[in-house]
Amino acid sequence: MTEPVLEVRNLSITYTVGAGEFPAVTNISLKLYPGKVVGIVGETGCGKSTLAKAIPRLLPEPPATIGGGQIIFRGTDLVKVTKRQLPMVRGTGIGMIFQEPLNSLNPAYRVFDQVAESIRIRHYRDMGYVKTFQGGEVPFDYSKRPTATVSSSLTKPFVPDGAVGEVVRDRLRTRSDYRKEVLEYLRLVRINDPETILDLFPHELSGGMRQRIMIAMALSERPAVLIADEPTSALDVTIQAQVLTLMKELIDEVQTAILFISHDLGVIAETADFVGVMYAGQIVEYGPVAEVFHSPRHPYTKALLRAAPNRYKSEGQLSAMAGSVPNLSRLPSGCRFHPRCPLVRPACKAKLPTLDPVDPSNPDPEARVHASACFFQSEVPSLP
Amino acid sequence: MGRNPSDLLIFIGKRLLQLIPVLVGVIVLTFFFTHLDLTNVCNEWYPHAGASTIHNCELTVNQPLANQFVQYFVNLLHGNWGTDVYGAAVYPQIAAALPATLELVLAALFLMVVIGIPLGVIAAQFSGRWADHLVRVFYLSGWATPTYLGAVIAAVFLGPLLGLPSGGEFSTKAVPFSQYTHMSVIDAMLAGSLPYTADAISHLILPAVVLAFINMGIATRMTRASMLEVLPLDYVRSARMKGLSEFWVLYKHALRNALITTTTVLGITAGGLLSGTVVVEEVFLWPGIGQYAYVSIGGGGSVPNFAGAIAVVIIFAIAVVAANLIADILYGVLDPRVDWR
Amino acid sequence: MAPTPPASRPDSSARVVWRVLRSNPLSLGGFALIVLIGVVAAVVAIDPHLLIPYGPQQITGAYHARPSWAHPFGTDGNSFDVYSNVLLALPLDLGIGILIAGSALLGGGTLGLIAGFFDRPGTLGGALSVVIMRITDIFLSFPSLILALAITRALGLGVGPTVLAIGLTWWPYYVRLVRGEVLAVKGLPYVVAARASGVSEWRILARHVIRNVLEPVVVFFTLDIGTVLVTYSTIGFIGVASKYPSAQPEWGAMLAFYQSSGAINAYPWEVFAPGAAIFVTVFAFSLLGDGLRDILDPRTRRAFVRSSAGREPPAEVPATALPSGTVPPSAPANDLGAPA
Repeated sequence: MTEPVLEVRNLSITYTVGAGEFPAVTNISLKLYPGKVVGIVGETGCGKSTLAKAIPRLLPEPPATIGGGQIIFRGTDLVKVTKRQLPMVRGTGIGMIFQEPLNSLNPAYRVFDQVAESIRIRHYRDMGYVKTFQGGEVPFDYSKRPTATVSSSLTKPFVPDGAVGEVVRDRLRTRSDYRKEVLEYLRLVRINDPETILDLFPHELSGGMRQRIMIAMALSERPAVLIADEPTSALDVTIQAQVLTLMKELIDEVQTAILFISHDLGVIAETADFVGVMYAGQIVEYGPVAEVFHSPRHPYTKALLRAAPNRYKSEGQLSAMAGSVPNLSRLPSGCRFHPRCPLVRPACKAKLPTLDPVDPSNPDPEARVHASACFFQSEVPSLP
Repeated sequence: MGRNPSDLLIFIGKRLLQLIPVLVGVIVLTFFFTHLDLTNVCNEWYPHAGASTIHNCELTVNQPLANQFVQYFVNLLHGNWGTDVYGAAVYPQIAAALPATLELVLAALFLMVVIGIPLGVIAAQFSGRWADHLVRVFYLSGWATPTYLGAVIAAVFLGPLLGLPSGGEFSTKAVPFSQYTHMSVIDAMLAGSLPYTADAISHLILPAVVLAFINMGIATRMTRASMLEVLPLDYVRSARMKGLSEFWVLYKHALRNALITTTTVLGITAGGLLSGTVVVEEVFLWPGIGQYAYVSIGGGGSVPNFAGAIAVVIIFAIAVVAANLIADILYGVLDPRVDWR
Repeated sequence: MAPTPPASRPDSSARVVWRVLRSNPLSLGGFALIVLIGVVAAVVAIDPHLLIPYGPQQITGAYHARPSWAHPFGTDGNSFDVYSNVLLALPLDLGIGILIAGSALLGGGTLGLIAGFFDRPGTLGGALSVVIMRITDIFLSFPSLILALAITRALGLGVGPTVLAIGLTWWPYYVRLVRGEVLAVKGLPYVVAARASGVSEWRILARHVIRNVLEPVVVFFTLDIGTVLVTYSTIGFIGVASKYPSAQPEWGAMLAFYQSSGAINAYPWEVFAPGAAIFVTVFAFSLLGDGLRDILDPRTRRAFVRSSAGREPPAEVPATALPSGTVPPSAPANDLGAPA
């Protein structure tokens, strides 16, 4: 496999709030590869959104502190990057799309202005008008310079021109220049007749449309990494399906690495290549999505899958998990899931388990990635 | 979508229509104050006036209240606002004084916007930390300073310290050009005289600063509160993720939305500024409505002038109503959700 | 996603307020200052001789003396001790502020309750509230200082008429404030639920509405005492309220007298002492009120709670229930009143 675009190593995040300290994220490690989707699934409050926001350092730093770990992007540890330099990483380096309540697009500006702004930022960086982020070692192939048209350049993540050592000055583009590109990106996200929506305000658009525009805005900066924080959770099921189809098609066209956060198992199953199951701030199981969902090796994953209502069966009780998600300020000792686990033993209360490979001798390199944070993972398949 | 430029006229027109009942109410209220409890209405309105004026007035006094009101209203419209204690008509005096106050208030507003709003943004950005506390102390002390105290300290101590004058609009009593607008800076610029323009500006600074300092609190407070509401929203995060610097995120994206609610306090700001001019103009010898009000109401031991006081009350009420109208229109323009039809 | 906070008993309002005060050094300072001022006012009112060495118009023999141990604020042209006069004016000014703001609160608040709670279209209550609000709007068009001055012109000089005049101009603010709060509370889910389960209207009014409205109104009241004080002393400065020197001094009148005597450059302490007294009192109230407002204004409450009080909002609640830009009805119409 190729080099990871972004790597998270042993990241821990703590919230310090008047009433105490909450370890929101404990010791998470991830690797994101171009063109691959890594899904993070978990219940509300498990820390997945915190993780998503922590990577581009979007968390407000006073209450949240990054306790330890690294986020390696383009050879630099983002944890150590200063606040001043952060805007340079974002946009063309890391992009993010959010859940869709009313306020994902700026209500005061028209659609054209907002999408054109993203394109303009990328253009300025392209032409060297503004500084862009230079990493330590830059592990990409710079022999090819980005070309002017949208479709052909989408095959590569954005590469700053400055790295090549030349700066090409161009005339400042006018509004009509941007118009062409804005329309192209809007068509890219499958909006028919984008001319009609250019002058509209966000409150005049439907939820699905707003979501597509947000995707268009993020993609127009051609980021190397795209973080999707529950992008379909607030949409109707039908719109959700459309947006997911769109994203899957885009993944084929664009080689951006995607981190997809969701609480919906079905969405992750459809979209992700790899999945990490989070519980109480930890990743308790990780692996190729088919493996993890068909043969889970962690009691929590298994229970989660079983708890999802089966749409083909209309009788029988819903199976729910006993107990509830632990209070982060009063975590159980050892394994955080042990109070609710059917396989609980004394060893579980003593030590916090870390991710252990399930089948290290598997010939398939992707299957070797499958790991579970349970001491007794081999017994999980025998659970009901 | 109901927000074409041509629709704006409809929008303004609708708001103007809503003005009218309030204005009528204001006039009715002042009528009550001035005609009901006075034993000698005519002498109060026209002291030292000629016999024919008094006679005309007395003719109306004995008529039913409704007729009196109509007469009163007609008088107002005709510019007959009574006379002062020396027999001079009130209306021309007010008309000459109003632009000077307008100039002062606009200068103060400018300072409030240019200084107060960024302070509110800073306070929201560093909410809970020392910058926030500092901004709070600043605007709360402005608000806690009684106008006269601030004016006196500025005039007597700050003025000489900074070399700024504090008497009137110009350094000389009379100016060698005619005053078309009665706004000192504009008149000086119209006359094409640079030294007089500079002189006018230097005289404007201290009183405007005092007014602004005292009234800045409400703008800063409101901006801070709105920013705190807007900053956690998703589109601010989106703006950050686009790679915009923190400055642009705050001022182009967040503030643009936060300002919408700030305009709603424009009416109250106007009320506070106008009240403040009464004392500030008196201390700084600024020839505006505030000083006229001060004298008419009997401040500083001057002979109270009934008609003048009422005229001032009406003018101030109209000004506050106008300010609220402007705030309403601004709100409709700034908030894209408001339909102009 | 925000971490789930510890499950504990919800704090009473008093504890929350105490935590607010503790965390915000400004409001704690304001609170302490107010307590101090209140104690001094009480002492001066009950037994002046404990703190006040000279009578207000007592000839001390020292003319225009600089501040010293014997005369902390110096003496004036009549050799009256400025410190004594300033302290003697404290109960008056403070009392007047509380009295006016309090009566405006009671009167305007009641009207606001009526206008808000019984405002149903097509009923007598609805018509009544329209009338109340129209009259309030008209009154609100007049800057309070000007209206008060005009009324004192009609009523005459003196403390009583001035108090009445300011009171008459002050109640509209409370009407609008309380009505806005009542309207906001009326729509709250649990009020609607109470109504749906058959709770009588009066009970709803008394238990739910008033209790919820009380919080922001009290905050506004705290700040308002300061505004009233400034307005009263401004009227005193303009010379329409109290005369000075007199047996009962008043800060605004003192300031006017000393300023007009033209000796401010030579004897600045005479002007500074009453001015500083007003400033400190109003500043104390505004510090406290401003800090309290942070916890009670729904807009800033979220930010404050998130950062310090340890009470996270539920994860699913969006940051605003309203689209940003609309003024929620609970926003008090005038945040800081109209300073004079």
